[in-house]
Amino acid sequence: MYIFQVVALLIALLYYGNAQTSTVAVNHTILGSELSADGLKQLAAIVAPQSPVFHPSRGSYFSLNLLSAFPEDLEVSDYCVELLAIFGQRYSTYVNCLVSAARPVKVCQNCYGSYDNLMDIYTNISSDQMGPGNVSCRDSLLRSDRLMLVFLLYNNLEDIWTGSECNSCVSLGLHSLTNDTLYFMATLNQSLRCFEKFQQGNHSALCKECKATYRGLNELYSRMEKNRTLCIDIEDSMNMTRRLWSKNFNCSFPRAENVPVIAVSSFMLFLPIIFYLSSFLHSEQKKRKLIHRE
Amino acid sequence: MHPSLLQDSVRGCPKEIPHNEKLLSLKYESLDYDNSENQLFLEEERRMSFLGFKCLEISRWVICGLIGFLTGLIACCIDIAVENLAGVKYYVVKQNIEKFTEVGGLSISLILWAVLNSAFVMLGAVIVAFFEPGAAGSGIPQIKCYLNGVKIPRVVRLKTLVVKVCGVICSVAGGLAVGKEGPMIHSGAVVAAGVSQGRSTSLKKDFKIFEYFRRDTEKRDFVSAGAAAGVSAAFGAPVGGVLFSLEEGASFWNQMLTWRIFFASMISTFTLNFFLSIYNNKPGDLSSPGLINFGRFESDVSVCLLLSSPKPCGLLGALFNILNYWLTIFRIRYVHRPCLQVMEAMLVAAVTATVSFAMIYFSNDCQPLGPDQSEDYPLQLFCADGEYNSMATAFFNTPERSVRSLFHNPPGRLFYNPLTLSLFTLTYFFLACWTYGLTVSAGVFIPSLLIGAHRTLARLVSIMFVCRSLSQVWAVPGKYAFNGSCRGIVRMTLSLTVIMVEATGNVTYGLPIMLVLLTAKIVGDYFVEGLYDIHIKLQSVPFLHLEAPATSHWLTAREVMGAPVTCFNRIEKVGTIVDVLSNTSTNHNLGKICGLILRSQLIVLLKHKVRELARSRLTQRKLQLKDFRDAYPRFPPIQSIHVSQDERECMMDLTEFMNPTPYTVPQETSLPRVFKLFRALGLRHLVVVDSENRVVGLVTRKDLARYHLGKHGLEEMQLAQT
Repeated sequence: MYIFQVVALLIALLYYGNAQTSTVAVNHTILGSELSADGLKQLAAIVAPQSPVFHPSRGSYFSLNLLSAFPEDLEVSDYCVELLAIFGQRYSTYVNCLVSAARPVKVCQNCYGSYDNLMDIYTNISSDQMGPGNVSCRDSLLRSDRLMLVFLLYNNLEDIWTGSECNSCVSLGLHSLTNDTLYFMATLNQSLRCFEKFQQGNHSALCKECKATYRGLNELYSRMEKNRTLCIDIEDSMNMTRRLWSKNFNCSFPRAENVPVIAVSSFMLFLPIIFYLSSFLHSEQKKRKLIHRE
Repeated sequence: MHPSLLQDSVRGCPKEIPHNEKLLSLKYESLDYDNSENQLFLEEERRMSFLGFKCLEISRWVICGLIGFLTGLIACCIDIAVENLAGVKYYVVKQNIEKFTEVGGLSISLILWAVLNSAFVMLGAVIVAFFEPGAAGSGIPQIKCYLNGVKIPRVVRLKTLVVKVCGVICSVAGGLAVGKEGPMIHSGAVVAAGVSQGRSTSLKKDFKIFEYFRRDTEKRDFVSAGAAAGVSAAFGAPVGGVLFSLEEGASFWNQMLTWRIFFASMISTFTLNFFLSIYNNKPGDLSSPGLINFGRFESDVSVCLLLSSPKPCGLLGALFNILNYWLTIFRIRYVHRPCLQVMEAMLVAAVTATVSFAMIYFSNDCQPLGPDQSEDYPLQLFCADGEYNSMATAFFNTPERSVRSLFHNPPGRLFYNPLTLSLFTLTYFFLACWTYGLTVSAGVFIPSLLIGAHRTLARLVSIMFVCRSLSQVWAVPGKYAFNGSCRGIVRMTLSLTVIMVEATGNVTYGLPIMLVLLTAKIVGDYFVEGLYDIHIKLQSVPFLHLEAPATSHWLTAREVMGAPVTCFNRIEKVGTIVDVLSNTSTNHNLGKICGLILRSQLIVLLKHKVRELARSRLTQRKLQLKDFRDAYPRFPPIQSIHVSQDERECMMDLTEFMNPTPYTVPQETSLPRVFKLFRALGLRHLVVVDSENRVVGLVTRKDLARYHLGKHGLEEMQLAQT
């Protein structure tokens, strides 16, 4: 009995030692060899269920404790991994475009192409169709964890797109800007050129000469506002133009009519006084007859 | 002649004095809330089966539901009509202003605005002054009196309802500094009074249902439900409505009645919500439970600042009431012809337009538009392009819109700067004070909110904070404004607290709101009473307060009662009855306290008797309870009944029709005790008997309401003919 226990203990110790040496061997082999991207992917397929999309340095990768191996049916298929990589590329392109068009706001004009691409790849990822090898990337990429990172990232960008109302400026299918937008841009350029021409010297000359073009621009903008074909680009450019016109060039209407307004107001305010005085003097005061108790 | 007799005759000569608040009018009677349990009534009760009682109970619930539904519908109509009419007016004026801003001639816009205002208000004032003067004012004082038990003539008629609804639409569309909440309460009450009777006396149509409820007892209960439904539709506060009715009206706590009132309020707010959502093309949204919508307020930690504002508010409220009091006295004494009243209303409307226009014109405060203001009418005037005059958002809008934008302005945009706010407050204060009491249908709740909301220090402080630090702590200055609103004006504490809590949708604010209200009430009460109480007193209504005045225990029933009392025998000659009824104008009682009979009952009896004698003996029939109910509520005057000489000699047996068990008190009962009995049971007459059960006198409402606690102790008010 005693001998059996000792033997069992010895065998367990042997197995443990084997396991340790084998992992140590794995560690050594990793450290030792030169790894290519393919090699990394293979290792990732064995050791971890997800691979990082961007190419990290060897150091940061190995700081992760990926000593456990996940079984094959929890891995992300290669096809999906590719899709994810494309998504990442297009995402960063779009974000770069957005940031460079942040002020003055030109996000709709400059970036609608990138957004179109991004939308394509995301539709691909999230479609119900099975890819090659009968895998659906939607579940594995979008819905596998609590964070749902890909979903979140795309939704944020979609909110930005909807918030800037770029759909009003860009034609359906996101191939080009609408005619209205182009016309507006042309009119705007006209006004800006007019401003540049008269910028030096007295602003009153500018106010007079450029009034017609500016008025035309304003009316066009009001019309577009009523039809709701505005996007943030147009709003912002209009806002800046208005500020230029009103604040920098000081072309808005001055208050010129103080005297008539004051006169009419005082007359109106005077009427009730006359009314009350006349009713006080001319009306009979209402008297009440008292009843005495017996 | 004996010198004392001469003196007596001089003293007995009635004097004439100018109207003041210490008078009681003779024309107000009490409601017959106490049921007359004569033999007819007892027979009817005996005949009714258990099923009959159940049916009655169910029909009471059905009526309450119907009251809620109709009140909600009326509120919806008022809201939609005001929006459309005001929209048209502001659109026209805005087009005009925009046309003339560049070209010049803005004084024409001013005149146009004043004329449009006057036109609307003229229409409203004409229908009130010439067709139904009872529909003037907010209606809350009248309903308070009705629930107190006073029969205010013509207060719950169909004509009053129509005039009130049209009047309030015209007043608000005409740009007066008024709200539409008070008239809503009055409308609810009228709807209740009409629906519960199952017929329309004005339209002379009888649907032959709800005949059991054709009595003052039932009617007053239904009117409480209607008033609650009105409050609930106006503020989106059903529980507040129930409390309002109970605070004003409940003589005794009747649980089933409370349930039914609550039911009516709930149905009312739900109906309003539902139909307004459909109208706004958002069915199922259900986001407008009341005519006034403050939106939702989130809880915040900074509650301490909320309590800092009650003192100035109480004082401001007192000032408002005092000014309005003197103005109302002036109006009652000097501006009492209808044409003058209409002219006054038109002038107020024109001046409101003028003042608003001048404020907007001379204001330099320009702010860009926010994303949530597509329905307003932004005026650019002399601002830079893309910016709009912020005075205009305050003045160029219906008061409800102003309130809503004030309470829900994101502070980062600094929509109202302190100067704009202060000017608006001051102007609005005087306008609202001037407007209330005009001969138009209009309420005073929204203006008081706007005044208080602007004035509170907390709001200005919070704006300054936002200026400096853009911190999110004071991020919602609206709710401080809300709390400091001058409820120092109105002073219905309990119901108002609950209404506010429900309107803000956040119970966390309950305690601060209550404390602020109480403090404001205490501070304001030190100077002057609440606004509605002032108006009730100025109308000389014999209003019974919650308790008898303190220090009145030394007064007994004998000193208070009215004597002598007219008595009939059980079987009395027709001629005597007719003579007595024709001579005096008070109600009488019967016999050695065998029972009590009312003038209205005697008139119905006489009418029936006269008609009976005209027919042959074969077709005679006994008088039923139904005949009394059919004659209710507008009993014909005695002059309309013609009695020939033969008929005068006939005898009439009053035994079946008199109330054999009226309430009596001994002579030595103190005034507070009599008061308690009278008010708790909602009596109209209280018979005073001596130790041998003989009638000595009669206590009525006027006898009790005469006594009140003045500045120098117990004072007695004088009776006057109005």
